[in-house]
Amino acid sequence: MKKGRILVIDDEDIVRVSCQRALEPEGYEVITVKSGTEGLKLLEKESFDLVMTDLKMPDMDGIEVLQKVKERWPGIQVIIITGYQTVETAVKAIRLGAYDYIEKPFTPEQILAVTKKCCC
Amino acid sequence: MTIGTLMIVGSSIFWYFLIHYQEKELLRNSVKYGHSFMDFVEKSTRYGMLTFQQLLIQQTVEAIGSAEGIIKIRMFDSRGKIAYSSIKEEKGNMLAKNEAICVYCHSNSGRSLEIPSWSLKTGKDGYRVLNILQPINNEPACYTSSCHAHPKEYSVLGFTEADISLSLLDNALKKQKIAITAYVLGFICLLSVVLCTILWNLVSTPLSVLTYGMERVAAGELDHTVKINTRDEMGELATAFNAMTSDLKTAKDELIEWGNTLEKKVEEKTEEIRKAQAKLIHSEKLASLGRMAAGVAHEINSPLTGIVTFGHLLRKKFQEGTQEREDIEVIIEQANRCSNIIKGLLGFARATSAEKNLININDLVNSSLNMVRNKADFFNIKIVLDFDESLPPVRADASQIQQVFLNMIINAADAMEGKGTLTVRTTKVEENGSPFAEIEFNDTGYGISEQDIPKLFEPFFTTKPVGKGTGLGLAVSHGIIQDHGGRIRVRSKPGEGTSFFMRLPFYIDKKEQNQ
Repeated sequence: MKKGRILVIDDEDIVRVSCQRALEPEGYEVITVKSGTEGLKLLEKESFDLVMTDLKMPDMDGIEVLQKVKERWPGIQVIIITGYQTVETAVKAIRLGAYDYIEKPFTPEQILAVTKKCCC
Repeated sequence: MTIGTLMIVGSSIFWYFLIHYQEKELLRNSVKYGHSFMDFVEKSTRYGMLTFQQLLIQQTVEAIGSAEGIIKIRMFDSRGKIAYSSIKEEKGNMLAKNEAICVYCHSNSGRSLEIPSWSLKTGKDGYRVLNILQPINNEPACYTSSCHAHPKEYSVLGFTEADISLSLLDNALKKQKIAITAYVLGFICLLSVVLCTILWNLVSTPLSVLTYGMERVAAGELDHTVKINTRDEMGELATAFNAMTSDLKTAKDELIEWGNTLEKKVEEKTEEIRKAQAKLIHSEKLASLGRMAAGVAHEINSPLTGIVTFGHLLRKKFQEGTQEREDIEVIIEQANRCSNIIKGLLGFARATSAEKNLININDLVNSSLNMVRNKADFFNIKIVLDFDESLPPVRADASQIQQVFLNMIINAADAMEGKGTLTVRTTKVEENGSPFAEIEFNDTGYGISEQDIPKLFEPFFTTKPVGKGTGLGLAVSHGIIQDHGGRIRVRSKPGEGTSFFMRLPFYIDKKEQNQ
């Protein structure tokens, strides 16, 4: 039995693979997409427990993804992955309903801890 | 000079007319006396003539003629014969018709000159001689006398002529001339002396003083005053001159003052502009560095995520103590170092976006010190606190200011190489009339060399060994303090230690201020 379905949205291949490699051995099902648009499409078809999204992406940024997810699937938790954390974006993300945010570069332990905290 | 000449000419004219008039007047008197004398001669001989005593007449004429000043007396009859003369030898001589005396009545032109008459000639002794000719008029006593010598029809019976010496008159005149000349000359001399003295005192001396004054002033000596204390026009001129000099001095001083302050102001402005420019360049540098850092951070952090993640995954596969495990540790460590550099760079980006609250500087210093106190680097460092407990709050971003304080503390520890005294002092200061909180971090480390001080706040400038410092701490601190309206400066002496001073403006409640 899988611990939870996680959708990872990031334009960077290495980040997506890192998430998979860090979380899958721990029993999470990790599906990854390259953009926010793709992610939202997939969300309509499948159900997820958690969405992890990068903040800065070419077509749609993380804040927008967060807004849309919270709008349509309020039950899905969102964790923001950020290349550089600023007080403003962090405050904004939390206010908009993000569960937490994680800074790049993160260790497998760090991302696992955040995920565990969120999905049990 | 001109006045002198005019005076001499005037005096000469005066002198000439005076002498001339005097001479004329004296001569007129002499002629008058001469006529009286002739009358006297005639009256003296009248009796002799009426009684025709020729010898008596001759003797009378001789007697009178011997008197002093009388050269000769002659009496002619109507035919020109010298009837009597004071010079006996002449008696009986006839005068030629062209003789001067005859010409009076019997001139060729038929015009008879005025009789009695007088004339002047020069005598043998050089003195002038007055010649007087007077007719002896016929009268009843003559033609009725016993001798009946003269017919009744004759109007003129003869002439009396006398030469009277004017030596006395001439001598007197000469003496008078000398006297008058002497008087005039004396007067001129006296007048000249008086005039010169007056001119000298009233005009020449003040003028030379004024001229000297003008020369001094023209030479630029504007403190010079002309000392003429008279109440006349010269005194007024001197006062006006002094007033002009003093005005000139005031104007010149103002100009100089203006020039000086202008130079100073220009210097000040130039310095201000230079500082502003340097500040601008610095903040522009920081801003562009921040922008670049943000971009770099985003780009680098993703690959770093991969390195860190896969590093950790790989590390699990090797037993502790193996060479492979140690190598992977190095990879992870170095990746973390890269991450730290990126975080440092991001400080620039963050400095521009701060969340400001009222904070107590002393508390913040304490909490910053507590974060490092238990680290090994600080075991041998003595920390001295000198706080101004009445320090008002400062409006600032606590985490940013704490970052600055940590930078200062870590730099101090590095400079002291783990051994020494760190003194943190907080005080209230005034700058340009505004109150500031000043925080001083003083260490007893090796100090900063003079040529390094200007570069101190530049990004990537570091004196720490490679791998230990990024050269971003002070640059970020500088940016943060500046962003808070404060100022950071350094004072260092190589070998003795370094002091960093930060100034942050106190929070002033606008409402409170208005009340």
